[in-house]
Amino acid sequence: MEEKVLEILKNVFELDTVDTTCSQQTCEKWDSMGQLNLVVELESEFDISLEPEEIGEMTSYDKIVEILRVKLSC
Amino acid sequence: MFVFRNNTVERFFPKEYSFSGYDDISVIPADANGYVWFYQAPMGHSRETSIEEILGYQQKFDFVLAQTDANKTIIALTMEDIYTLPLTDDDYAVRRASEQYNAFLFEAEKKHANLKVIDFSEFTRNYPAADLLDWKFYFISQMGISPKLTKDFQAWWQRKIDSIALKRKKCIVLDLDNTLWGGVLGEDGISGIKIGGDYPGKAFAFFQKSLLQLSKSGVILTVCSKNNEADVLEAWEKNPFMVLKKEHFAAYRINWTDKATNIRELAEELNIGLDSFVFVDDNPTERELIRQMLPMVSVPEFPTQPYELPVFFKKLVEDYFKVYSITEEDKKKTEQYKANAARVQAQHSFSDFGAFLESLDIQITIEAANEFNIPRIAQMTQKTNQFNLTTKRYTDADVKDFLSNGWKIWCVSVADRFGDNGITGCIMINGDEIDTFLLSCRILGKGIEKAFIKKVMALLKEDGIVSLKAAYQPTAKNAQVADFYDRCGFTCVTENADGSKNYVLDLNAADLEIEKYYHINLK
Repeated sequence: MEEKVLEILKNVFELDTVDTTCSQQTCEKWDSMGQLNLVVELESEFDISLEPEEIGEMTSYDKIVEILRVKLSC
Repeated sequence: MFVFRNNTVERFFPKEYSFSGYDDISVIPADANGYVWFYQAPMGHSRETSIEEILGYQQKFDFVLAQTDANKTIIALTMEDIYTLPLTDDDYAVRRASEQYNAFLFEAEKKHANLKVIDFSEFTRNYPAADLLDWKFYFISQMGISPKLTKDFQAWWQRKIDSIALKRKKCIVLDLDNTLWGGVLGEDGISGIKIGGDYPGKAFAFFQKSLLQLSKSGVILTVCSKNNEADVLEAWEKNPFMVLKKEHFAAYRINWTDKATNIRELAEELNIGLDSFVFVDDNPTERELIRQMLPMVSVPEFPTQPYELPVFFKKLVEDYFKVYSITEEDKKKTEQYKANAARVQAQHSFSDFGAFLESLDIQITIEAANEFNIPRIAQMTQKTNQFNLTTKRYTDADVKDFLSNGWKIWCVSVADRFGDNGITGCIMINGDEIDTFLLSCRILGKGIEKAFIKKVMALLKEDGIVSLKAAYQPTAKNAQVADFYDRCGFTCVTENADGSKNYVLDLNAADLEIEKYYHINLK
């Protein structure tokens, strides 16, 4: 799952390299439009529906993984 | 392109597009190479406010239209109310306002040559309301269309842009057997092919009528078919249910040459670029050949069932032949091309045809006659007309009889990565003479015939046969194999008045080398 998230971040934000420190602060294209694209990709990749509250919290790689772990385990 | 919008639509358009603020017409960038107007119906609860807003959009559009350079294209999408909440069943006020807005756009289009109005319902009607709008994304990102439809919308948009830019394809290359009619002309005959009458002929007639309409809109129809030309000309002329006849085709290639060569010739003859061609054929191997050899030619998948043809045709038009509008010139195109066509019969050599065959992973299984395949062998002698050297018709009992008299009989099955054609050919050897050699025409064009006969010759050589005899007996249908034995290295010893020929081959001197890309299995 972690690797897929990294790959999605890389593709959505058109990054040359990506690592686990990726966040809204460090990533230029991670604006509100980027956030939308990110959510659509995550939802289709993991076949889930993210709640608006969760989407609001997804501001970094770590937070995404944290939310997905909860989401995918239940 | 610069997009005026009232919702979040960035995802749906190409990356290089730029966008206005939401419902913002204060900036009209002069350096844009064109404009898009995409306002969606408001999602408000108050009908009065919604109606006023729609009216407001109309005025804003009018303003933008007046401000923009008349040489630059403006593409406006119509308004569809994806979500309406009429409180009573007879309350259509918002919808009526949208319709007025659309009528306004179409009126404006008449007065402004640079304005093109696109019917957005053409896209939306493909989806149920619940798929079109995802309220979650509406509330968090103000998306008036579900982001899940991004790919579909992008593809639709590209087609619309292409049709406005008149980037449609020019020419369609059609196969005949099992494409324009059901069945195989060479096997079923003029009255046996399925066209008109009951299903499936009805479905093929529908398809032909659709294509005729398409040709009237300026699309060039051509034919490329593995058939005897004389048979097809006769079918065009004599089958009363035939809709598309010789005069509807700007050019045709009805022969046994591979289709890539034929399509290249058609392109040359009609003077149309290969990238303007669409190739329609029911045979997946032919489609793959064209995809590999002529990648610039568009090759849509073909339906497996005739009743799917109307949907296939609709998609064909939408994907390749839709134009924003049709001119008088377009309607005359077929005639023009026909008149201009210089019949250049260029011979093209293929250096890479072998590579294509190799990619097919052709499996040839040669099996001696046994009780399981004898019925099929007898049936093939009864039915096969075109690739049949002597056209002798035999029954199961005949074949069994031959075996007990020491004949050697093999049948061949052919499979490639597109599927297994089953038993599609046979050879019968009486002593040192080939009595019968035939192949079903659906496996022709891949050199199977030579690989098969060479392998058989090698087997006969092992059995001690040195001099192999063969004969060609002409019929109305088998002209394509008149020189088959000559091509296989046989020497013609007698040629008779009726056109029949007798051959002999010295197996010790014969070239029995088979190309490596035929994988031969002996059973």
